[in-house]
Amino acid sequence: MVDAARQPKIDVRTYTEVESVEGFVGNFKVTLREKAKHVLADRCNGCGDCARVCPIEVPNYYEMNLAPRKAVYIPMSQSVPLVYTVDLDACIHCYKCVEACGPLKAIDFSQEDKYVQEDIGAIVVATGFGHFDPSVMEEYGYGRFPNVITSMEMERLNNSAGLTAGNLIRPSDRKNPQKLAFINCVGSRDKRYNPGCSNFCCMYSIKNAVLLKQMYPNVDITIYYMDIRTPSKGYEEFYDRAREMGIHFVQGRPSLITEDEETHNLFVHSEDISLGRVIEKEYDMVMLNQAAVPQPDQNHMSSVLNVVQSPGGWFMEYHPKLRPIDSPTDGIFFAGACQGPKDIPASVAAGSAAASRASRILHSEKWEIEPIVAVVWPDRCSATTKGRACGLCVKACPYGAVVIDGDKAAEIITAKCHGCGGCVAECPEDAITQMHYTDAQILSQIRALLADKPEEKILAFRCQWCSYGGADLAGTSHFEYTANERGLRVMCSARMDSDFIYEAYRLGAGAVLYSGCHPQDCHYITGQKVGAKRADRLKKMFERMNMTDGRFRVEWISAAEGDKYARVLNEMQMTLDNMSPEELRDEIERLKPDMEKRLKRFPGVPGVSEAMDYSDTLVDAILKAKETS
Amino acid sequence: MSHPAAVRTFADEVKAIPGGEHLELCYSCGTCVSKCMIQQKVEPDYNPRRLLRMVMMDMKEEAFESPTTWMCSECDLCYQACPQEIHISQVIAAVKQLAVDAGYTSPLTPVQVDEALCSGCGICSMVCPYQAPSLFEKVVDGEIDRFAQVDSNKCMGCGTCVGACPLGAISREGVSNSEIQSQIPSPDQTIPDIITFVCDWSLREGADVELLESYPADQVNVVHIPCTGRIDPQHALMALDSGVKGVLVCGCKPGECHFKRGNHVAKCKLGLLDTMFKQIQSPHKEIRFVQIGTQERGRIRHEIDEILTAVSPAKEAK
Ligand SMILES: Cc1cc2nc3c(=O)[nH]c(=O)nc-3n(C[C@H](O)[C@H](O)[C@H](O)COP(=O)(O)OP(=O)(O)OC[C@H]3O[C@@H](n4cnc5c(N)ncnc54)[C@H](O)[C@@H]3O)c2cc1C
Ligand code: SF4
Ligand code: SF4
Ligand code: SF4
Ligand code: SF4
Repeated sequence: MVDAARQPKIDVRTYTEVESVEGFVGNFKVTLREKAKHVLADRCNGCGDCARVCPIEVPNYYEMNLAPRKAVYIPMSQSVPLVYTVDLDACIHCYKCVEACGPLKAIDFSQEDKYVQEDIGAIVVATGFGHFDPSVMEEYGYGRFPNVITSMEMERLNNSAGLTAGNLIRPSDRKNPQKLAFINCVGSRDKRYNPGCSNFCCMYSIKNAVLLKQMYPNVDITIYYMDIRTPSKGYEEFYDRAREMGIHFVQGRPSLITEDEETHNLFVHSEDISLGRVIEKEYDMVMLNQAAVPQPDQNHMSSVLNVVQSPGGWFMEYHPKLRPIDSPTDGIFFAGACQGPKDIPASVAAGSAAASRASRILHSEKWEIEPIVAVVWPDRCSATTKGRACGLCVKACPYGAVVIDGDKAAEIITAKCHGCGGCVAECPEDAITQMHYTDAQILSQIRALLADKPEEKILAFRCQWCSYGGADLAGTSHFEYTANERGLRVMCSARMDSDFIYEAYRLGAGAVLYSGCHPQDCHYITGQKVGAKRADRLKKMFERMNMTDGRFRVEWISAAEGDKYARVLNEMQMTLDNMSPEELRDEIERLKPDMEKRLKRFPGVPGVSEAMDYSDTLVDAILKAKETS
Repeated sequence: MSHPAAVRTFADEVKAIPGGEHLELCYSCGTCVSKCMIQQKVEPDYNPRRLLRMVMMDMKEEAFESPTTWMCSECDLCYQACPQEIHISQVIAAVKQLAVDAGYTSPLTPVQVDEALCSGCGICSMVCPYQAPSLFEKVVDGEIDRFAQVDSNKCMGCGTCVGACPLGAISREGVSNSEIQSQIPSPDQTIPDIITFVCDWSLREGADVELLESYPADQVNVVHIPCTGRIDPQHALMALDSGVKGVLVCGCKPGECHFKRGNHVAKCKLGLLDTMFKQIQSPHKEIRFVQIGTQERGRIRHEIDEILTAVSPAKEAK
């Protein structure tokens, strides 16, 4: 941090919050709130005279609230920049600090929060992780038994720069503990709290044990674990060393800690799995290795940055294997544990990767994006035809790429568009098209796929990222499924226009599959939700029309679920097999007029509606989009 | 290429029974084993984690013969603590059901009904936490009469029915009225200050049990019962009649009763007794019901000291 602050090209803004992020890759407008310190940074020399006279003491969160700080404070001696802050919530306005500061006149109670806007080319998010509060696990007594502490508290207690100058003491009587127990997976790998593994606790609990054993060779340390995970280079060897040093390892997840109310010693109750017996051992102090969880304000940050969260709340990467550092929003990158628990080596690697990804943007004159962007044909937008834009496109876009300015036609900020096609399918006026996935292109595919014996075919709409991958996997894994399937790819289930489905049934398709990602896997933040909502409407509509159950199916299939893809298609084939040809034909004929009626306003359905007129304005719009992209 | 046909494993059978579904999520972390009191208190071979493992490893016979299959009392202490949210008692119940279907029988000693005394009132079937007793009809001397009968694979031996039967018609060795009465001193013996009836499960093995035994016999007399549900008001009355000044009944915390709800039955009976005492304004004697949780190490000492102080002469003199 000190080094970073010295670097002339790094502008460190502490005590500052990101309020909002607007714009797009290369052109972000970021609003920052520089919180009032009530101390003028250019006058404060960090002498600390103010803190010495301040009569108020409050717990210091930096020391895990184990030690106090004053109402005017720096959290730690290495603070960057070395400028004090007045905590107004604690301050009693005695102004002793002002007096102590004297002629420097660095303290200024009239200072207010300042809002500044900066032009930013790329953003690296490195907000890290938070800590699970083990007091909700009554069985471990944290918060009730003074000598049950968390690993973060242990980090402060055995830190040579910490409150005890590295002299390990236990809270109840400040004596040096002789027998210590560490408990792993507290709140991690626990469906009641956090199902995931916290990644680094196994290693840091071994690290803490080794450090303590080096400092106090006679302490007795036992680590209780479910599994010890040492998957990186050198980690297993470190674990070996710990065992050779005499650190005890008990495989068994403690079910209970009780306390002797006089000595405040603790009894850890667990099964020793290797023995198959329940054991209860007495310790002076117990450390709980609590789960790493998302930051408490992670949801808020995710909406400020307009990025997505994985199940569990961590920030979600664009692609777990191929673009692990990128967010789904161009120009925003993740470094470190904000994306999921990572230890220091992994966090540093991610930080370097994010920096290099970001510098590519900063060094480019022009930024190329995928050419599959959406384009509005202003002539058809209801703003032009009816005087008022309906705004459905704005609602559908997960990236805020569609804007409607007053009574003008909708417009797409090409640099922000990721090409899910949600707006294209949602637009009731068919005023938006998607380059390389135009209605005309998709319709001609539908027509070609259903050209021959359509009643025998199952038309499967798949999204590029999940169900298409699922179908692929079904193929490469040789899972057998019906040969009557005809697959068709779009980028996202959001692009699966109702009109495509109507057209398929108008042409007499036997069955239609509407498939995409599971909601949490959607590549386009909320594109799947747009698709799912539409699919739901279609499903209800076909039910009302008494379509045979199973002729229209909506399924969310991940790229790993090849078996599911095959199963769903075979089930659909079974639905068709269970109908007699006459029955199927009658149903197709019965629904046809309805489909035709629904397609009347859709441009270019042979024999049903007029072909779309590619007017100059659309061509202009497309050319413009090409230029900007 | 020929593929092996699907084989229905023991695990499949267990998983097909509601409650057994999540069996395979088990981490084998041992939380359930150490949460459960049975291994430490009565059966060293009792181990729910290992039973789950036996199911997964297709060890059917071993599982059917394992004490775990038969001794789980469905208290669900372990369920609350399992990090994989496996409903362990239901998995065990599924194994037990399969064992019973396969002709295995419970090794526990069930209660037995003495038909000569049984009136067929059905109270036992109402109080039993396991629906072990039921009523049946048979012709006696030309008349249809009703009697209780007990499903020996369901009875866990808590004795709640024994404590509830108004006619002493249902009982079992180890929990019979005479055996409990024999632990209460008769007026011609040394009379302690208090008598405590303590259930077999609420106190922590080791420290707390030792603590209870450490009081001198002329101060505290300890009567062991399998469950507070077994307590019969007449035992409390007999105790007071013998001259003790206080009766302390010690059972599990609400929600932690080893026999699911014996402690509720006890609370109800002791509450009624207390009200009756107040109504007849009997000279003040203490009857207390305390419910101690597994986490409350050392609490029994406070409870005993408190009731001892309450009944001590110094207090009476005031
Ligand atoms: C007890 C313990 C011991 C550990 N020991 C080791 C070890 O020995 N070796 C090892 O490799 N790993 C260890 N780890 C893991 C290590 O802590 C992480 O790998 C590392 O901290 C991740 O770094 P980070 O920069 O991603 O996040 P963090 O270290 O969490 O840093 C995030 C920073 O962002 C700031 N921040 C958060 N939100 C905002 C916001 N909205 N605006 C501005 N700033 C914000 C936070 O204040 C914080 O300073 C340990 C973890 C724990 C809990
Ligand atoms: S909804 Fe999708 S296609 Fe439409 S503008 Fe937004 S990102 Fe582009
Ligand atoms: S507590 Fe749950 S996960 Fe752990 S061994 Fe028991 S059943 Fe398995
Ligand atoms: S339900 Fe109760 S008796 Fe059965 S295994 Fe769990 S803790 Fe033991
Ligand atoms: S002893 Fe308990 S389990 Fe057995 S029948 Fe009586 S009440 Fe039911």
